[in-house]
Amino acid sequence: MNELMAMFGAVVASPMIIPAAFGGIAWGILGGALPGISPSITMALLLPFTYGADPTAAVVLLASTYLGAEYGGSIPAILIRTPGTNSAAATVIDGYAMKEQGKAGEALGISLYSTLLGSIFGVILLITLTQPLANVALAFQPTSYVGLGVLGLSVIASLAGESLIKGMMAGFIGLMIATVGTDPVTGLNRFTFDDPELLSGIPPILVMVGIYAVAELFEQSSQPGWRQTNSADASIKMPDALMRARLRVAQVIGAVIGFIEGLTPGGGGTIAAFLSYNEAKRWSKKPEEFGNGSPEGIAAPETANGAVSATALIPMLGLGIPGSNSAAVLLGGFLIHGMTPGPMLFTKHYDVVMGLYAGKVISLFALVIVGYLILRPCIWLVNRPKHYLMAFIFALVLSGVYAIHNSLFHVGIALAFGVIGYGMKYFRIPTLPMVLGVVLGFMVESNYRRALVLSDGDHMTFTEDPIAATLLALAAIFIVISLVRHFRDSLKSGKAEQKAA
Amino acid sequence: MSMRKLRLAAGAIVGLAVAVAPAFAQAPAKYPKDTVILATHSSPGGGSDIFLRELLPHLTRAMGGVNFAVENISGGSGAKAMAVLAKAKPDGGMFYATTPTFIYTSLLSKPEASYKDLEPLVNVFFDPEVVYTAADSKFKTLQDVIDHAKASRGKWGAANPASLERQVLEQMKTATGVRAAVVTFEGGGDMLINVLNHTLDIGIGEMQEIRGQMEAGKLRVLAVMGEKRLEQLPEIPTAREQGVNVAVRKFRGLAGPKNTPPEVVAAWEAGVQKVLADPAYKKIYMENGLQPAFIPHAEYVKFVAEFGQETQDFLKSTGVIK
Repeated sequence: MNELMAMFGAVVASPMIIPAAFGGIAWGILGGALPGISPSITMALLLPFTYGADPTAAVVLLASTYLGAEYGGSIPAILIRTPGTNSAAATVIDGYAMKEQGKAGEALGISLYSTLLGSIFGVILLITLTQPLANVALAFQPTSYVGLGVLGLSVIASLAGESLIKGMMAGFIGLMIATVGTDPVTGLNRFTFDDPELLSGIPPILVMVGIYAVAELFEQSSQPGWRQTNSADASIKMPDALMRARLRVAQVIGAVIGFIEGLTPGGGGTIAAFLSYNEAKRWSKKPEEFGNGSPEGIAAPETANGAVSATALIPMLGLGIPGSNSAAVLLGGFLIHGMTPGPMLFTKHYDVVMGLYAGKVISLFALVIVGYLILRPCIWLVNRPKHYLMAFIFALVLSGVYAIHNSLFHVGIALAFGVIGYGMKYFRIPTLPMVLGVVLGFMVESNYRRALVLSDGDHMTFTEDPIAATLLALAAIFIVISLVRHFRDSLKSGKAEQKAA
Repeated sequence: MSMRKLRLAAGAIVGLAVAVAPAFAQAPAKYPKDTVILATHSSPGGGSDIFLRELLPHLTRAMGGVNFAVENISGGSGAKAMAVLAKAKPDGGMFYATTPTFIYTSLLSKPEASYKDLEPLVNVFFDPEVVYTAADSKFKTLQDVIDHAKASRGKWGAANPASLERQVLEQMKTATGVRAAVVTFEGGGDMLINVLNHTLDIGIGEMQEIRGQMEAGKLRVLAVMGEKRLEQLPEIPTAREQGVNVAVRKFRGLAGPKNTPPEVVAAWEAGVQKVLADPAYKKIYMENGLQPAFIPHAEYVKFVAEFGQETQDFLKSTGVIK
């Protein structure tokens, strides 16, 4: 109750919080929707403008931008098969499938509704439990991250689609791509060819933009009759009561996984989105619809993204440890104004923290209003004649990629992955396992090797850490179950073929 | 021609208007440029970026009203910024805020222009590196850590594998001859967690990074890894005082294109000394845990060359480069 009063007081003391929350959401959605511009870049672009601003309004602006960008990423994911942000990659799968079925408005509605629910859940936890929850992050050792990463990779077994071998191939290619860059233990350069651009590895967003967006552009341009306009519905449709009931399980899964991932530094939204997508599929009444336009396939990752955008602030505020790049930019926002996040922030700058909480609440309203308004022009835009649209998307995607570091080299990488993605489509190799490999590969490798350096090469260290042991056991169970199901299915279809013959 | 004169005159008037009385009273030699770009490879909000933006208003006063602008040339861990600087005109119009990163990038890859293609201008600060442990750990001094590593096996953390921090820990290991795993991470935050939860015995990092935890009493600083004690932590002894012969100087200065004219160098040497003495700025940099360390141009050129050579030897000895 005291906190509610303090939050209200903070709004009265610096009313600039309100326009900052709305402005942050609007700017965030724009930045998130531009392919290649990640939430952290969107936030970093604003940072210079906050130097002279009121500190509370400045951090509210940055935090709202984070939420807006996490939501904005799903718009191009659904409409043009381009994940605007890393964490929107899971939304591409069913979002774009729904759009192809002419249900773009419905897909966008589900995304907005789910992001909102996820962030309400996250903001409540942020306001009520930041200080106790921050210590949860401390329970995570290198071994625990290995468990988390392996659990994420185990998803490949159930997402591989028709051919397990092809899925594994794609996964391994992804893991190999993740080895490019500086070796996490020795500091040696791997596959960098003396090029400084490759020192920090191949950014996952370039892989995703390439194999989803660019490959789709190649595919669309090569199809006959590509001049016809798409018959996507022209208005956004929020889920009705029946749909809301259907989405409930997926959203609970997304909220819980998003909450845990937000707390663990290094986890981040992308892993949360994929894990919750997979879990939603596992617990769904209609798992066969996943990949072919399942509403739950949008709801689960988007709820997770919404939750992460709030709970990622918990270790940043409570410990001074940023869990993601975006949280690191927000940390920079605090430092610039002479505030050091950490346990003492709550006593030394109580008013700013309360102002930030109030701003987060206001930004939820802003998300509904701005998010709703921005969708109409977006839907209008993607219903233009296809030859204009394709040219526009190409320009948008490539300029977005170029803008990250003003690097033509990055544009080249994205185009190269476009060709690879097109080839994978041709050979019917699933792309999702490759994306997972790229996203998780470095985290698993670096923490695995780090854990072994710490234990002097003793693998028993993974069983001594309860978190790692639990997660690895879960991963083993998932893999076995999917393999059994897979072989049973192929046995059945084999018999069916024999009978037919 | 007359346009240019007009512009110069306008610039001078602006300069006069901005310059505060004491700066004007000393009548410094006029700087050849109205506006100077200070480039950094860190993105907005990053370490060097914050450093520059806090410095600029004070530097403008100290340098007689010269305007400064920060330009973030990110990409390639400084490779891009070095390439831009190496091609810039040596007229005092553009400098690069350097940290050891630009030496590491030059040695670890083959960038278009390396640190050897730039001319170090002056040094401004040292970033003090400190060794710390969790407040509730059993280690009370650096000697405790060394003794533990002698008896069993130490677990020491550094933020990045190819970094000055790792180099310091490896040097400490060699100097004391103990058995310790030097574990590297992807950034300071990740490592900090592992110090707080006792996965690591100690971590090494800049004071700025651990300030939040230090103020809350969750961390104990065991040693300063520099040559002298810090003004901010006068009670913490250096490593050398505790019998470990390792000292590091993580520099934070400026570099420009080769053949920077002597009058520009002189202006900077005067300006940097003045800004470091400015009480308003001193308050800020002391809070940020920086150690003022002005090094004049002639000495600084030698300093950076030596630093580069030392780093190269270290990277070769650990097998990172050939």
